[in-house]
Amino acid sequence: MNLPKIHSITKKILVGALGAFLGFFLLFHASANLLILRHDGGEWYNAFCHFMGTYYIVKVLEIGLFASLLLHAVMAIWLAIENKRARPVGYKKPTRSKTHRGSKVQMWTGILIFACLIMHFTDFYFVKIGWVQGKYMAKSEDVVTLKTIQPEAFNYAEQHCEYSAKGNWLGNFNADDKAVLEAASLEVEPDFYHKAREKFKILHIVIAYLFFFVVVWFHLRHGFPAIFQTFGLYNYKYGKAIEVLGQVFNWVVCLMFTVTVLGVYFGL
Amino acid sequence: MKFTLHIWRQENARAKGHFETYPIDGISPDCSFLEMLDILNEHLINDRIAHPVCFDNDCREGICGMCGLYINGRPHGNDDGITTCQLHMRKFRDGDEIWIEPWRAKPFPVIRDLIVDRSAFDKIIQAGGYISTTTGGVPDANMIPIPKHAADMAMDAASCIGCGACVAACKNASAMLFVGAKISHLALLPQGRVEAADRVRKMVCKMDELGFGNCTNTYACEAECPKLIKRQNISRLNRQWIGALFGRDRRE
Ligand code: HEM
Ligand code: SF4
Ligand code: FES
Repeated sequence: MNLPKIHSITKKILVGALGAFLGFFLLFHASANLLILRHDGGEWYNAFCHFMGTYYIVKVLEIGLFASLLLHAVMAIWLAIENKRARPVGYKKPTRSKTHRGSKVQMWTGILIFACLIMHFTDFYFVKIGWVQGKYMAKSEDVVTLKTIQPEAFNYAEQHCEYSAKGNWLGNFNADDKAVLEAASLEVEPDFYHKAREKFKILHIVIAYLFFFVVVWFHLRHGFPAIFQTFGLYNYKYGKAIEVLGQVFNWVVCLMFTVTVLGVYFGL
Repeated sequence: MKFTLHIWRQENARAKGHFETYPIDGISPDCSFLEMLDILNEHLINDRIAHPVCFDNDCREGICGMCGLYINGRPHGNDDGITTCQLHMRKFRDGDEIWIEPWRAKPFPVIRDLIVDRSAFDKIIQAGGYISTTTGGVPDANMIPIPKHAADMAMDAASCIGCGACVAACKNASAMLFVGAKISHLALLPQGRVEAADRVRKMVCKMDELGFGNCTNTYACEAECPKLIKRQNISRLNRQWIGALFGRDRRE
């Protein structure tokens, strides 16, 4: 099969640029997730999720994000196919050159990221688009309005929810509650705060997510410094500093995720 | 010293090759690797055992880049910053098994035994690795002011001998270190900067067309280069390429 023609360095730049975009998303995602550690009944975190779920620019970015992930993987696999073809007859003795081993596992860590993302989406994102059930919440002002129109639905909501500290959101409805409240034409959306707090109390889920973060760490351990090289920013003067910067970025991202999950597990 | 040699034998470019095992004894530790192969060949010819083992070599002092052999998993053998002709048998232990293979890459087809056709590199140079004006006589050294660090970097890049170890070592058979070096020693100097964008475009296109792999920032090339060419040159190549995409001759 003949693959279409994109120059080797251009392909690399695409992999790198899309990887960088995904990396910055991770930084953003990881910092926002720290809000889960606030004991505010999801006030801040759910407000953030609400914004993410409804603001139109975010929706556009979300499409961009999925496209980037896909294109990043496609380009990387394309590079790998070409690279296999560049050496049809291999060596008998395995290499003993001193190389950055990271690049050799990029493909495998990438595929593991994909697998872990399926788990992660089942837990959260698919709830949002309604493919799986989860925890739900409603705006408390909407619920209060309900009091005058449909008192029995209001009573139901009160009995089945947890009030958040400031009371903008009434959360922790399960799927049955959702059905009842939606029947009373209340707008119900995912309650990721309670969902996360529930998920990360379960040991095997915590372990699975920690595994996920380790995989991401390995992928970015090679990835971040590689971006600078690919964009021609690695030079004699700042080479080492850039390498360190990449690793710091990687640690910050992965540690923020880890702290969130472990924080919930140990009831921080 | 005594060794067991496993050497790739292949009649011609189309033939199917295989490893042949030859024991060898009485080798001085001060013998160079190529001298050791000479001794083996003498023995193969005189005792009518086989055709001599074909391998490339010319200067035998690390400047021509002909003597590319993949020895026990490393191009130019188990030492840093040397060519095979600069490798001595004292680097091995008595009784070692030594596997000797040709460079492996699609653009470097085996011609015979351990000799590969490296004219792919020449084609890359022909595509753009030159300055297209007549340079005339030698001008006074101070006519064109060149910063010392630029001259140094250009000189370092110019020390590439085109041996192909970078391609041989790379898991992707990528020629980026070679092309990076060839781009750099010109782009860093005022005379070369004029055509920089055009040059990088032509050389990279040729490199892709010849079937070299894509760089994945593994840096095996840098670890194996006998002239210690640095990966900063690949970074510069990428930078020049990005500049060329926007039609600019990048100033280095
Ligand atoms: C959160 C998701 C991901 C992030 C943040 C990410 C980030 C990165 C970065 C920054 C690079 C370095 C680019 C360069 O060499 O300049 C990279 C390389 C790579 N990624 Fe990803 N990646 C992600 C997901 C994936 C997935 C799902 C795959 C699927 C197979 C994948 C496969 C690869 C491969 C094979 C490379 C190596 C390409 C090369 O070395 O040239 N990545 N990634
Ligand atoms: S860059 Fe180094 S390894 Fe590659 S051809 Fe030049 S001298 Fe040989
Ligand atoms: S024979 Fe010239 S470099 Fe080895």
